[in-house]
Amino acid sequence: MKKIATALASLSLVFVSACGSAGNNADSADNGAKAANNGSAAVAEEATAAPEKAVKLRIYAQYSDDDTKLPYDYAVAELKKEMPNVELELEVQAQDDGQKLKTYAATGNLPDIYQAGTDIINTFKKSGNILELDQYADLYDFKSKMYPSTMNTLISEDGHIYAYPYAGNEFMLLYYNKELFEQNNVKVPTTYDELMTAVQTFTKAGITPLALFAKEKWPTVALYDVFATRVEPQGILKLQSGAASPSDPAYKQAAEQIYNLVQAGLLPDGATNLNFDQAASLFYEGKAAMFLNGQWEIATSTEKLGDKVDWMYFPGVDAASYEANKYAFVGGGNPGGYAVNPDTKDPELAAKVAAFISLKYAEYKYTERGNPLVATKVDKPIVKEYPAMMKKLSDDIPKITSTTAFDWGLSDAKFKAAIEDATQVLMTGGYSVEQFIKDVSKAVPAAK
Amino acid sequence: MKKFLGNKTAIALFTLPALLVYTIMVFYPIMQTFFRSLYEWDGLTAGTFIGLDNYKNLFTDSVFFTSVYNGLIFAGIITVTQIGIASILAFAIADGAVRGRRLLRISYFIPVVLSVTVVCQLWLSIYNGQYGLMNKLFEMLGMSYRQDWLSGSKSAIIAVAFVNAWQYMGYHFALLLAGVRSVPEQYMEAARIDGATKLQAIRKIMIPMMAETYKFCLVFAVTGGLNAFANMYIMTGGGPGTSTYTLTYLMYRSAFRVGEFGYGSAAAAMLVIECLLATLIINRLVARERITY
Repeated sequence: MKKIATALASLSLVFVSACGSAGNNADSADNGAKAANNGSAAVAEEATAAPEKAVKLRIYAQYSDDDTKLPYDYAVAELKKEMPNVELELEVQAQDDGQKLKTYAATGNLPDIYQAGTDIINTFKKSGNILELDQYADLYDFKSKMYPSTMNTLISEDGHIYAYPYAGNEFMLLYYNKELFEQNNVKVPTTYDELMTAVQTFTKAGITPLALFAKEKWPTVALYDVFATRVEPQGILKLQSGAASPSDPAYKQAAEQIYNLVQAGLLPDGATNLNFDQAASLFYEGKAAMFLNGQWEIATSTEKLGDKVDWMYFPGVDAASYEANKYAFVGGGNPGGYAVNPDTKDPELAAKVAAFISLKYAEYKYTERGNPLVATKVDKPIVKEYPAMMKKLSDDIPKITSTTAFDWGLSDAKFKAAIEDATQVLMTGGYSVEQFIKDVSKAVPAAK
Repeated sequence: MKKFLGNKTAIALFTLPALLVYTIMVFYPIMQTFFRSLYEWDGLTAGTFIGLDNYKNLFTDSVFFTSVYNGLIFAGIITVTQIGIASILAFAIADGAVRGRRLLRISYFIPVVLSVTVVCQLWLSIYNGQYGLMNKLFEMLGMSYRQDWLSGSKSAIIAVAFVNAWQYMGYHFALLLAGVRSVPEQYMEAARIDGATKLQAIRKIMIPMMAETYKFCLVFAVTGGLNAFANMYIMTGGGPGTSTYTLTYLMYRSAFRVGEFGYGSAAAAMLVIECLLATLIINRLVARERITY
């Protein structure tokens, strides 16, 4: 009865938002159909090859672009060689803040294996919807295959393992168009003042200084984090833990700097309504001088702008702070990856498949996608050479002194929602620094 | 008939199915929402009973007030524009002198049948700060009134409300047109013979006689405005910041983004109360005496 009650209550809430997410559903249904086709092909193959009892596992994973499709397909193909009796039934992950997965959990319909981020891990831990993988962690020698620097993506805050990661620590980078900087005689900024000069020069020349897809809220949090980390390397993480307050000098100054830069024309018109495609095309077409995005942007930017594009270290408050915080990177990693449903029929098999898939996924990204940022060591040679910007980043990785977190890596949902909203309004220029501090302060938890 | 109405079993037998469906589909979920709003609940675990704490928090949450305020603005704008313009259009179309009435009638109704997503995407382009039609219009008129319609903390909610107002105007138009048609011709004829102008006849006879239709339109527009969600979800994502939040959006954010279903339920409960209140007030003030002809 209680289950019905829960389902009905969530239904009444879901109802209103249904129209909003209809697009996603249609998309996943489409992909689901494709997956089903692949599945039936696999069955036929199996009938001849595998005498072992066939097992079908439902998997819920990202499968939306080349960066997620190709590694997944490779991992599945490898799995077929290793465990021919296992058939994976793919359900494409919806871009919905984990709503679909949570609904599955509430109705007892969770897939056997699913991709989980920090938010899902924390929620499911409490409700018993995620399998603790500590006992299976030695499968494929998983722990020893992790890079010491990426252990944070495997082990959760409570010291347990809940998901097998494939992505390593990822970073925010400030890309810039070298040609535009040269043409307008602008020095690549190393300090706030130089950045201000650059913004003013570009604005005067009719070029957007920085393209930001601020309709999504995470890039606005990242931009704020960039300025905060120049003084306080822990950035938003220190705010989330309650160890710092938004009214502290470092954080206040970050807000003031953004406010002043926005007033000076840092962002394009209506930045808070630009989606990724619109903001990125400004940069690709040479209408914007800088672009803020994760390191996953390297491939596309290189493809679109060739050797005109590079990334710079974030400008510091002054020359000294620039040098001191040059390697204080924004972004980072958080626990997440392939997790296992505790109610699956054979937890050991599911854990084995999950571990295998994440290892192979990382392997493909490393060897074929030109991405050295994976969680696990790969002993195969690189097939596709790194682009120059990735080479530069890869050389810098050992020098990194600190990382923070991406917006989605924040574990305090309330703080996350508040800082997302506040930083986004900060980008409109119509929001005073005092109000910003007031709004964020309300969501900062009391110091632990 | 009297005998039938005295038969309690028969009454029960005939009303029971409807009552049952209503209870399961409407009443029970609403009660659940109220019940769950007393819990700190993440939607998955059993949850802990915290009494009225969610409501206490709601009343100290500035986002709640922003949401209520936005809901009222939204409802106000769409009620005035939709019913206002729809009335003018309906009276004009009902007037025999207007040519091409059928074509107009259809074209006014077209936006209603379009999907909200399509309409929102269309208006996103119109509102665009860089190449949008809206700014171009001002330019053509020789006014340098360039705006980022959806990026201003104050203008965004008005801009979004206007999209909804535009889309559902046709719906109210159709209702009102039906209302106009249902007013017996002889009243208008009598007014004409008495020397009333068209405007006077509409004001003094038509509108009072359509009180029931207007009541329905009002309830529909006001509750629709208070409930608004899809437009802001697609166009602004509640942004910039929280400036286009409504109670429904707050509920959505609390339940699905923050994972506080109890708090979301409290917001939903407030929304139910708000809509009930609005409906009661409208019922009380409009068409208190049933008009018969």
